[in-house]
Amino acid sequence: MHLTSLRTISPALALAMGLAAAPALAQEQTGGTLRLLARAAAGTIDPHINYTLQYFQLNYILYDGLVTFRKAEGAEGFEVVADLAREIPEPANDGTSYTFELRDGIQFSDGTDLTAEDVKASFERIFKVSGPTAGTFYNNIVGAEACLQSPDECSLDEGVVIDEEAGTVTINLTEADGEFLQKIAIPHAAILPAETPAEDLGTEAPPSTGPYMIESYDPNSTLAMVRNPHFEEWSEEAQPAGYADAINYDFGLTETAAVTAIQNGQADWMFDQPPTDRLAELGNQFAEQVTLHPLTAMWYAPMNTNLAPFDDVRVRQAVNYAIDRNALVSLFGGPNLAQPACQILPPGFPSYEPYCPYTAGESDTWQEPDMERAMQLVEESGTAGQDVTIVVEDTSVSRSIGVYLQDVLSRLGYDASVQPISQNIQFTYIQNTDNNVQMSVSQWFQDYPSPSNFLRVLFSCDSFTPGSDASVNIAGFCNEDIDAMMDEAESLTLSDPERSAEIWTEIDRAVTDAAPAAVLFTPKRVDFFSERVENFLFSPQFYWIISQAQIDQ
Amino acid sequence: MNLSSSARTDSSAVEPGTGSAALVAESPWATAWRKLRQDRAAIASLIVLGLITLACLLAPLYAQMVSGTDPFTTNLGGSIVVGGESRPILAPSTTGLGLGTTPIGPTGEFGPYLLGADAQGRDVAARLLYGGRNSLFIAASATLICLVLATAIGTVAGFFGGMIDTILSRILDVLWAFPIFLLAISLSIVMLNQTLRIGPVEIGSGSLVLPIFIIGIVYIPYVARPIRGQVKSLMSAEFVIASVGIGASSWRILLKDVLPNVVPRVIVFLPLIMALAMIIESALSYLSIGVQPPNASWGTIIQDGQSLLYSRPLVALAPGIAIAVTVLTLNILGDGVRDAFDPKSSVRIV
Amino acid sequence: MLYALVARLGQMVLVMFGISVVVFLIFFATPGADPSARIAGRNASQETLQQVREEFGLNRPLPVQYTLMMRKLFVTGDLTSFVNRGQLVIPTVLRAIPITLSLVGGAAVLWVLGGLLVGVLAGATRGSLLDRSLMVVSLIGISMPVFWLGEMANLVTQSRLHDIWLFSWVPALGYVPLSEDPWGWFKVLVIPWCVLATLYIGLYGRILRASMIETLQEDYVRTARAKGIGERRVMTRHVLRTSLVAFVTMFGLDFGALVGGAALLTEVIFGLQGVGKLTYDAMLTLDLPMILATVIYASFFVVMANFVVDIVHMILDPRARDVD
Repeated sequence: MHLTSLRTISPALALAMGLAAAPALAQEQTGGTLRLLARAAAGTIDPHINYTLQYFQLNYILYDGLVTFRKAEGAEGFEVVADLAREIPEPANDGTSYTFELRDGIQFSDGTDLTAEDVKASFERIFKVSGPTAGTFYNNIVGAEACLQSPDECSLDEGVVIDEEAGTVTINLTEADGEFLQKIAIPHAAILPAETPAEDLGTEAPPSTGPYMIESYDPNSTLAMVRNPHFEEWSEEAQPAGYADAINYDFGLTETAAVTAIQNGQADWMFDQPPTDRLAELGNQFAEQVTLHPLTAMWYAPMNTNLAPFDDVRVRQAVNYAIDRNALVSLFGGPNLAQPACQILPPGFPSYEPYCPYTAGESDTWQEPDMERAMQLVEESGTAGQDVTIVVEDTSVSRSIGVYLQDVLSRLGYDASVQPISQNIQFTYIQNTDNNVQMSVSQWFQDYPSPSNFLRVLFSCDSFTPGSDASVNIAGFCNEDIDAMMDEAESLTLSDPERSAEIWTEIDRAVTDAAPAAVLFTPKRVDFFSERVENFLFSPQFYWIISQAQIDQ
Repeated sequence: MNLSSSARTDSSAVEPGTGSAALVAESPWATAWRKLRQDRAAIASLIVLGLITLACLLAPLYAQMVSGTDPFTTNLGGSIVVGGESRPILAPSTTGLGLGTTPIGPTGEFGPYLLGADAQGRDVAARLLYGGRNSLFIAASATLICLVLATAIGTVAGFFGGMIDTILSRILDVLWAFPIFLLAISLSIVMLNQTLRIGPVEIGSGSLVLPIFIIGIVYIPYVARPIRGQVKSLMSAEFVIASVGIGASSWRILLKDVLPNVVPRVIVFLPLIMALAMIIESALSYLSIGVQPPNASWGTIIQDGQSLLYSRPLVALAPGIAIAVTVLTLNILGDGVRDAFDPKSSVRIV
Repeated sequence: MLYALVARLGQMVLVMFGISVVVFLIFFATPGADPSARIAGRNASQETLQQVREEFGLNRPLPVQYTLMMRKLFVTGDLTSFVNRGQLVIPTVLRAIPITLSLVGGAAVLWVLGGLLVGVLAGATRGSLLDRSLMVVSLIGISMPVFWLGEMANLVTQSRLHDIWLFSWVPALGYVPLSEDPWGWFKVLVIPWCVLATLYIGLYGRILRASMIETLQEDYVRTARAKGIGERRVMTRHVLRTSLVAFVTMFGLDFGALVGGAALLTEVIFGLQGVGKLTYDAMLTLDLPMILATVIYASFFVVMANFVVDIVHMILDPRARDVD
């Protein structure tokens, strides 16, 4: 996922950083209204379509799937637990079949009962509304291919088999998929009433099953949530009851204005990251209202492997050698907010083994740039003097990273320039090969904790589609040997998880060596909340668990 | 924001009497120049404007001799010696949670980082001078483009009338009714996202040509309309009718009778439009759709400074003051020029 | 007269049509403007992308798309945003109007009063120290970029001096509806009003002063004075009245433009979700339906203001009827 997703926390690191935000409460405080802020709304409220962290975070407490990620801090938050299903089923038929037994007595916020029919309809709806992950996460359900071709007539009679009497749902896959439970734990597989129209709901929220429901949504001003009157807690680890009575999410304030509002007690939390020049102030005067969490994410600079000069691997490696990651870390807000990185997988991620070929001196983590080696590689390639344009987002951090990279390229002998374009357009713009983007600055955040979510999604031949706006392999990197390794690793996920993990580690190294991108740093998330917010719990999967916040009144 | 009002009021009255100025013994240019010289405020403004321009032209000298750094490259790890002690240019916060970095503030010494550094460790004073070059250059060029095109359109429409007039006037109407900022923003967004190719000339997205072109176009109706009106009324003035009567060619009438009477009006517009262009340029750059990094203009420095507003307000304050002073001198000069060139107004406004 | 009116109306429609076509073409000339991939979501499969493109009609010829969009905007009224799917464009614009009106209306009161005060004081005391200082201050007001002034106002009132008694009342940025909390509405808007009005006080003060001085030279004023009518009466009855014509004309045009969205920078800086900010956000996200709606709305006000001013001129000055 781009821009929007999940981060992981290494518990030891979190403790070391004084993640003191979860105070032992003398008593639980229910009631009150939370006021959250974001610079802008994040589009449709339809849980099967919205693909932004901003609303995943809400959908996580509004809706439920058959399974979900545990609402807990630290590594536990990555675990898949049973939600609407009674328990996590064992895969049958060589891992191609899962049978879920539904819990009894769960009602939607409109008072209707949740049935197996709703589950089947919800899975079909993912295809009927052309959900963003329909073709990438759920394409291995039996019947899904036909649904992708003609969404209107989608029927999953064989893929999602229900038994209303017994209250069971069996999902059949075309092939074993070790990541299937993680894929249906994200909000795109939320269960909605069967009658939900098969079209983008836009601003009309469907009935929910979680502790809250959406009362109203106006993308230009406010999203208002209130308690779901039909909610009764069935599993504390999957969907605990909420504390606040109402949650108002207001849109439109700039980040600086939001920081000021929270400082002055006029709001409780902001979704966006605080602007860099307010960080020192927050870290000093408001340290008790700030939490920091490392993310399983990266800022990186994809280099188009099909365009000169980056069609030469030596040039891409030279850029990797030349970049001073410490400089970028200080642009991002200093060493406590980011960590230099030079391999694809982020620290703390499955299959992560420290590896850094692009540092001066022998080390498996990045130490300092090796300009000499970089100059030598550029000279060997004979490409010095060529033009390079770096396309960045029009935000102050992205712009400043672009200007820094431009410096680096100029020192390597290229004629470099920076082109900032609107944040909303940049991500699709840099994907389309028609735009001939040589180098760009982008970010990637995990969808679920699996190495394929970085390596396969960003650097496999499958995810490269020339001429399309949806070609997330921005570097256009396609190496058949590496693809074969990925296939092997995936086929072993269920049968030999250890060997599979080892192969992913090898792939991480192979891709890092081929340098389709320069990985820059691993960011941390800063959460700044008001004085009255207590029990700030942070899930590595979906960030702050809003339902668990208590308001000191 | 709408700065057009002052231009509009100028334009709202169509004065038929300007032609008679040619009959006065002293040439109108000499009269104007004499009047302008007597206007102390205008002359003082001219001098200040000259000094600002000179300072900006000397930017490379300043960067080399005084600041000693390249104002276009980042300087993230460096440090300088101030008052005998070494200070990092970007200081990471070491207290509390240790979040954020703060660039060095004004050093108070005439040397490197006189006004401090921006978030990328670049010398703000040097960037201010370089930025001023771009701001002044863009404003001046845009003004020229605007005046030349507007004069041409206004004169042609007023002179030939009929179909040509109708078509040109409708185009001007569309431009006029298009809210200025929206027009500028939409043009910039399109043009920034692609490289324009006009014949052999390639205009890259970072080129200064873009803001010049955009700003130049936006104000055309404000100048072209009154000029069209003036030309129209000139066409019914006695001396033009006389020329037509003696069978003079269209070109002759246009060049000898019409244009000389239009030019003083155009000159009155010059400082005024340039002042507007300065403001618009800074606003566009501030919205990051004008001058592109690492190039600087006063608007982009304000934008850089915006992300430092709370820790280093001077970065945004200084270019804002520079713009205000420059626009102020242009406005004062504009009053002087109007008094000098527009025979009807004998009023001093300052 | 009637003919002139009808012709003017026809031109208005023509101009607005021209603008909508220009906006539409600009949008499709922008590379990366195709919203399908953004609507479809990150890492969408090619099939999904194709479905979305069809669903939104983005694979149809441009004239068809234009007609469909205009029909949805003006006939059925169910045009929805490309960015926030399901967000109806027309109600969104309607909801933004009161915010813009609050901002511009309040600022207009300030600038009319301020402009009158400055203009009359300076005009009546022409050449005095007071006159000169007022004119210098007005010029400075005109010369400051409004976004910069707004930033500085925020810096002072929201942060640097927020804790002292003078500014501790300043609320967080954003809008408070008048109907919900009139006092909160006032507090939130008072600083944006001042910032927006600064420029216009300077402009209007200068214009009023100039036209007052001009009027003072007119024969009928001299006659009135010669008749021995009191100075105050001359000023209010004759001079001010005549001078106000230019003032009112300008006011019509400026007010129209600002209500149409020209207060964009002030709205952006003070976090007011008015029409200007709506337009600006839509431009940055290339949300074509929203851009079309707001730009047509804005041009309507500009054209309308021109129209009204023209009509007033036609009534006041019959000669203007011939001059287009």
